[in-house]
Amino acid sequence: MQEMQQLEHAINTIRVRFGSQALTRAAELPPPQPWPSHTPLDRLTGIAGLPRGRLALLTGNGTCGKLTLALGLLAAATREFAHAVVIDPRGDFDPWALLPFDPELSSLTVVRLDRDSSGEAATALARAGAGFILLMGEVPEQWLGPMEAGANRSGSVMVGVVDAPGRAFAHASSLSLGFTRTDWVWERDQLVGLRTIARCLKNRVAPPLGESELEIRYPLGPQLAFARPVIEVPLEKVELEWSSAAV
Amino acid sequence: MVVCCGLTNHLELAKRPDLYGGPVIVGDWEEHVIAASEESLPFGIAPGMPLRQAEHLCPQATFIAPDPIAASRLRELISIALYDLAPVVEVRVEGIAWLDVSGVVKPGESIREARRRLRSAIGREPRLGLAPGPFSARVAAARARPGRLVQVEDARTFLAPLASRELPLDEEQLERLDLLGLRTLGAVAAIGPRELESQLGREGRRAVLLARGAEPDELTPWRPPQFTSAHRQFEPPVEDREALLFVSRALCGDLAAELGLRGAGAKRVRVRLVYESDEPDERVSTVRHPLSSAAELFGLIGGWIKEWQPRAPITELWIELPVLEGAGRRQLRLWAGNDGTSEEVIAAFERLQERHGDDVVRKPRPALLSSPLPSQRFDWVS
Repeated sequence: MQEMQQLEHAINTIRVRFGSQALTRAAELPPPQPWPSHTPLDRLTGIAGLPRGRLALLTGNGTCGKLTLALGLLAAATREFAHAVVIDPRGDFDPWALLPFDPELSSLTVVRLDRDSSGEAATALARAGAGFILLMGEVPEQWLGPMEAGANRSGSVMVGVVDAPGRAFAHASSLSLGFTRTDWVWERDQLVGLRTIARCLKNRVAPPLGESELEIRYPLGPQLAFARPVIEVPLEKVELEWSSAAV
Repeated sequence: MVVCCGLTNHLELAKRPDLYGGPVIVGDWEEHVIAASEESLPFGIAPGMPLRQAEHLCPQATFIAPDPIAASRLRELISIALYDLAPVVEVRVEGIAWLDVSGVVKPGESIREARRRLRSAIGREPRLGLAPGPFSARVAAARARPGRLVQVEDARTFLAPLASRELPLDEEQLERLDLLGLRTLGAVAAIGPRELESQLGREGRRAVLLARGAEPDELTPWRPPQFTSAHRQFEPPVEDREALLFVSRALCGDLAAELGLRGAGAKRVRVRLVYESDEPDERVSTVRHPLSSAAELFGLIGGWIKEWQPRAPITELWIELPVLEGAGRRQLRLWAGNDGTSEEVIAAFERLQERHGDDVVRKPRPALLSSPLPSQRFDWVS
């Protein structure tokens, strides 16, 4: 009984000092607002879209499809947001690679700064409320806090593409999807794409939903209107889980 | 044209609300009465009469000297307060405020809000008139009870039975009208403008048009001054950067509220730090797109303060916006998310360009997309 009183006293002290919203029951917390990207990643995040105001990471070593997915997200963002920004510290972003995804180029802006200053740019743009920010590399550790706070306030969708994130960058993310290439796709002796497994490595916004297999087609030859560069190929395991659930 | 007129005390009287309720006369010694309160009118006091005569007629009145600067400042304050209620606003020190509410979506709301703001500025309920022009609106307001509105549909019919002394003519011209037998506005309206022009000059022609409800006069729209500033004194002087940031954020909020009221944006921003024991420091920047929100202003000024190295404790912080212009809002892109913050994002791009050069922020524009050379496929626009 005395412990309960002490606990109540501690809760009251925190509320008086830091405000009534400082302590909230987990069940009463508002769910994070998703941005439906209409890509296969929406199912993996568990909230039917990418979380707004948070950092999502696409990681994986070598050629595994993470950049293709990121470009798909970026193209969708250019069609839906007034400002989609690419922060490109390495200076190797080529909008030509974006064209197969049918982007709205008038909404796209590319910011090319060195790695140290890219954190400043990401923070300023997240705070200003840019709809979508694609980080083509890591942000210095000292900018991660302000960047998260800015994005959280404005609801910007932030996506980072890195091979292997540093500890601070990984810690700052709310969602981390790892990509592993499983196979190349050949047709008529020509390399036309790759298969990759996308795993949810970290998820702060929903329970991790496991993994999914994706087939990524390179934009070769004439592009047909219905041809999609990324196709989701459900894993056997996933199908088994679904069928068992159905039974 | 649909004009609402709010009639209040002369602003020379309104600057002394503590004297409300008793007879008050404003005027310089050896000069004429400039304004007289309603309570002094029953004693025969009228604006324009010699002050000595007024003193003789109403010795118990409080006599105050005019302060045209204070009255003018009060006029500016009332103009600022009414500026966002109608496209055209004119306020005169005589205690007349006109709002041209033609084209206003909800004129009733504008008029109600104008009444509320005039009441809080003057301290008394204004009389309101709504008519097709400024003259008939003023005459209608003069016939309204305090806090009430007299609405006039047909100005000529409304004005016809009223005395011709309502016309804005001098005493001699009014006497001539009387001698001509033109004692009502209806009688003035019935004769031709040229006929009265031959008697009274151009004023005669204007008087006929006014009496007919033709409203030859147009309102002179009030325009806000193209400069504003905010400052804070520190006692004791501060050295803490966080305190400076906190204060500058508050000042930016105040300035943004004022800019929003005016529909203006800052084209130029100047920040001045006054030191306790040294020459002041200042930093100025001209921006490409006018800044109008607190976030935009603080985004620029906060960035400066964060990197400023003060040489001594700071006694004053000034934020000045010396060049203002209309913050013309773009057409929002329909269905585009986060377009509401587009101006702030553009301001953030500009700040990055100011700090790191124009080339750091660029937009790709398709050029020769089929070219095998990557450099030819896009034009990069800063």
